[in-house]
Amino acid sequence: MEIKGIESGLGIGKVFSDGGAGKIAAPAEGAGKFFNELVSKVNDLQVQSDKAIQGLASGENKNLHEVMISMEKASISFQFMSTVRDKALAAYQEVMRMQV
Amino acid sequence: MDFFNSMNVSASALSAERTRMNLISSNLANANTTRTPEGGAYKRKDAVFAATPMRDSFDKVLNNAANRDIRQVKVMQVIEDQNPPRLQYDPSHPDANAQGYVALPNVNVVEEMADMINTTRSYEANVTAIQAAKGMAMKALEISSK
Repeated sequence: MEIKGIESGLGIGKVFSDGGAGKIAAPAEGAGKFFNELVSKVNDLQVQSDKAIQGLASGENKNLHEVMISMEKASISFQFMSTVRDKALAAYQEVMRMQV
Repeated sequence: MDFFNSMNVSASALSAERTRMNLISSNLANANTTRTPEGGAYKRKDAVFAATPMRDSFDKVLNNAANRDIRQVKVMQVIEDQNPPRLQYDPSHPDANAQGYVALPNVNVVEEMADMINTTRSYEANVTAIQAAKGMAMKALEISSK
């Protein structure tokens, strides 16, 4: 009888093998890269919304609704990012609370 | 983020309705204009809307079944109403023709007001759609809160 690891026995390893291979190897790197990308995307949206507001104030952009919508997009993505950060922090604290 | 697609579609509708509002304002302002740079009386203007697919990159549109059938609104062209102008008998008017009739624009103020109400309600409906999309996104964020 072959002693297989728990993962392969229940098929969990197969479910996550494609996406998880890289992550299992270096979980800290993967999460950090994902967060960096998220932050840069949110930053792009914020910069866009800033430019739109400036354009409206200077008069070259006459679309008020476009400015409002870009502001809303920046706000939604920023709230999403802070939710992700909260979850990451909670997970970290959960891990630190483990008794050695 | 798929909510942004829904917001972009509504944004295109807001732009189109604003263009139509501008045309209605032009029609109302020129309801009694007898002289135009093109010659003759003012002709009532209207906008032609067309549905265009999303301006995303091609493969993104094809791969995402939710976005494949979405259409944005675009103002394709501004047409002039070809109805004949209103003729009014006024020989003393500087723009009167040989028979003494002045050609007044074919703008019906009551119709323009009705169009204006239509445009306003359509604008408000699209703003409500954007607010609904934003509400759904916020609700999704609430999944993580206790």
